[in-house]
Amino acid sequence: MGLESKLPNGILLTNVEKMVNYTRSTSLWPATFGLACCAIEMMTTGAPRHDMARFGMEVFRASPRQADLMIVAGRVSNKMAPVLRRIYDQMSDPKWVLSMGVCATSGGMFNNYALVQGVDHVVPVDMYVPGCPPRPEMLLDGILKLHEKIKHETFAEQRAKA
Amino acid sequence: MTTTEPAPGDAPENEIFVDGADWEDVVDAVVDDTITVNMGPQHPSTHGVLRLVLELDGETVLRVKPVVGYLHTGIEKNAEYRTWVQGTTFFTRMDYLAPLHNELAFCLGTERLLGIEVPERAQVIRVIMTEFNRIASHLVWLATGGMELGSTTMMTAGFREREHILDLFESQSGLRMNHAYIRPGGLAIDVTDDFVQRCEALLELLPKKIVEYEDLLLRNPIWNDRLRGIGIIDAERCYALGVTGPLLRAAGVPYDLRKAQPYSGIERFDFDVPTETAGDSFARFLVRIEEMRQSMRIIRQALDVLPGGPVMVEDREIAWPSQQALGPDGIGNDPEYIRHIMGESMESLINHFKLVTQGFTVPAGQVYEAIESPRGELGYAITSTGTNKPYRVHVREPSFVNLQAADEMSTGLMVSDIVVVVASLDPVMGGVDR
Amino acid sequence: MSDGQTTNVPDAGHGLSGVAMSLEAIERQVQTRFPSLATDIAFGELTVHATPETLVDLLQYCRDDQQLSCEMLADLSGVHWPAGEHIIERQTSTTGWPEYRVSRERGVVEVLYVLRSMTRNHWFRVSVGTDDEEPRLPSVVDIYPTANFHEREVYDFFGVEFDGHPDLTRILMPDDWVGHPHRKDYPLGGVDIPYKNDKYIPPPHERNLREVIR
Repeated sequence: MGLESKLPNGILLTNVEKMVNYTRSTSLWPATFGLACCAIEMMTTGAPRHDMARFGMEVFRASPRQADLMIVAGRVSNKMAPVLRRIYDQMSDPKWVLSMGVCATSGGMFNNYALVQGVDHVVPVDMYVPGCPPRPEMLLDGILKLHEKIKHETFAEQRAKA
Repeated sequence: MTTTEPAPGDAPENEIFVDGADWEDVVDAVVDDTITVNMGPQHPSTHGVLRLVLELDGETVLRVKPVVGYLHTGIEKNAEYRTWVQGTTFFTRMDYLAPLHNELAFCLGTERLLGIEVPERAQVIRVIMTEFNRIASHLVWLATGGMELGSTTMMTAGFREREHILDLFESQSGLRMNHAYIRPGGLAIDVTDDFVQRCEALLELLPKKIVEYEDLLLRNPIWNDRLRGIGIIDAERCYALGVTGPLLRAAGVPYDLRKAQPYSGIERFDFDVPTETAGDSFARFLVRIEEMRQSMRIIRQALDVLPGGPVMVEDREIAWPSQQALGPDGIGNDPEYIRHIMGESMESLINHFKLVTQGFTVPAGQVYEAIESPRGELGYAITSTGTNKPYRVHVREPSFVNLQAADEMSTGLMVSDIVVVVASLDPVMGGVDR
Repeated sequence: MSDGQTTNVPDAGHGLSGVAMSLEAIERQVQTRFPSLATDIAFGELTVHATPETLVDLLQYCRDDQQLSCEMLADLSGVHWPAGEHIIERQTSTTGWPEYRVSRERGVVEVLYVLRSMTRNHWFRVSVGTDDEEPRLPSVVDIYPTANFHEREVYDFFGVEFDGHPDLTRILMPDDWVGHPHRKDYPLGGVDIPYKNDKYIPPPHERNLREVIR
């Protein structure tokens, strides 16, 4: 047998990448960044019935410097886009963006002069959640999928993104 | 401390060096200086994407300039390109805490242009649903307002009870928010069999919870100290600035459009208009709490008189012929009707397509329809040119107008009080920016 | 529990301190003071068609008059009627709209003021038109301070210059925006949504953030 059969009790083998990704994924801190209707559902997700704290995410950070996940909850107007980009730039690496709802994802039903037709024009997006607005369960599902994604991200991929 | 005489072209004239001297001297030297501070649009306590530019003298606020438009969605313009029925789907997303009020105001205006009378059952259900929506909206106000003042318990409590109301909305319209439930001519779908039962369960639950909030906040010293005497505005200035809703009633004016210009048969029900005289943030809190109770009074009476019959006008030019019922997937469906148009009658199929894709035409004219939303007078100025699309819809949003009062209400207060003032204004940025 | 007092307001149709005037009575009173102005009543609403010259006087009168006592400007909005043919169903017979609103020669930006009396509980609309090439109206901020935001909005969306406004800047659109989006000659915008299989959809980085597809 290999090395593992010779290890004493209480020792686990893993690699640094997996270990770091595990810790990163299990305590994501979202930035307080609510825009429109979806922001209300995002708050509901943090409220008692759906309780985001179960996934280590109850601390919405007011300062983007302390956050590593930006949930773009709602429609992004042309006036807001530069602000959104600045907040994204202020967040420290590694960081992830979750586009919540159709308006953030593609402009949704508001295909007009005022809105950025998809927040991926402005910032790179890691996870899209459909819905108008998505139910809290849908947001939770998107977040769990993002956790999964983070767990399987290699450092090289993260470096390339930053 | 030394204030050096600057050599010409050397340093800016008002440069001050602080080197460990008395702070008083520093203050004396900069006595004329005011600081301009930006707050928002991304700030945890500005209710979304509101941006405030504060002019400060030390910690004292001299001026507040609200900068809005960070959520401008072009809904009014978009609606000009869609049919009248599709209009409700747009306007419901405007003030997302009071979606049913937006739908109702738009539909009332459209119905006045069409000259149609909505069946009584639909009217009563409209009243019940909008009054529940008012409670839900005030609960979010309590929750977010509490959170901004550091009362996280209030935040969890407010959202907890709101969930129960959203469950009711979901069971009737299929959606938690942005329902598009109220349509020109009536309602999209009739209520389910357990509707009355569900409403009564809520009426059982909510009064106990409101007592809980009062126990939590009414004599809470922090809540009192932070709200009392903060953000005062009197009735005269309310008139001048167009301020309506709980702010006006907290300033002592018993003006409520449900009484002054009753809509949807709400004049049949007996309810009071709560007022306070102080005109401060605490008075607004009391008014909103009492309004929730009055809304429940209206709902209780409305449930007693809920008549049978259709929920949509008979006119086949306006109403869809299908009698949809909400399925378990949250989507309205009518298998009987689908069998009819797909299997039996080609003409019905054509009629169905024309009605859904092209919509009905609305006689030319202009109307202004105002109802009492949780934030004040919600008015829809609708212009029709007799086509199947609105020519122009302008929305008089109470949040947008009330926000103008932020400046007067916060002059002379501390920076931390700005949060209280904005919270007590209860602006919903989706409504402000549209 | 609440130490607040509750007051019952008077019955429906009554204001805070007085009975509502009928639309005809308001019409008569306004026309006595301003004989040149046209009025119409449609859909249970009264519209007074003011001119830019009479606008300020009219609003001042409506606010200060004891009978009308319109202490609140409830709404201020704009409607753009570009030059050319307007297909309006059964035009003058049903709507009673004046000539300026749908002029074929010159485009009009119509600004609507909703005046509300809370004490008397009545309201009516004042409508005023201005040329859409160079729209210009007097500001009513001095009479109704609430017009401040509203006029900025109408300026932003329709380009109407309000003379005497303290701070006439864009309010909802970004400061450097070109054009006035709610005018009818401004396209809806957005991006083209291709329903065809062969149509190339440019990826986000190839698109202009503010592209407007005409």
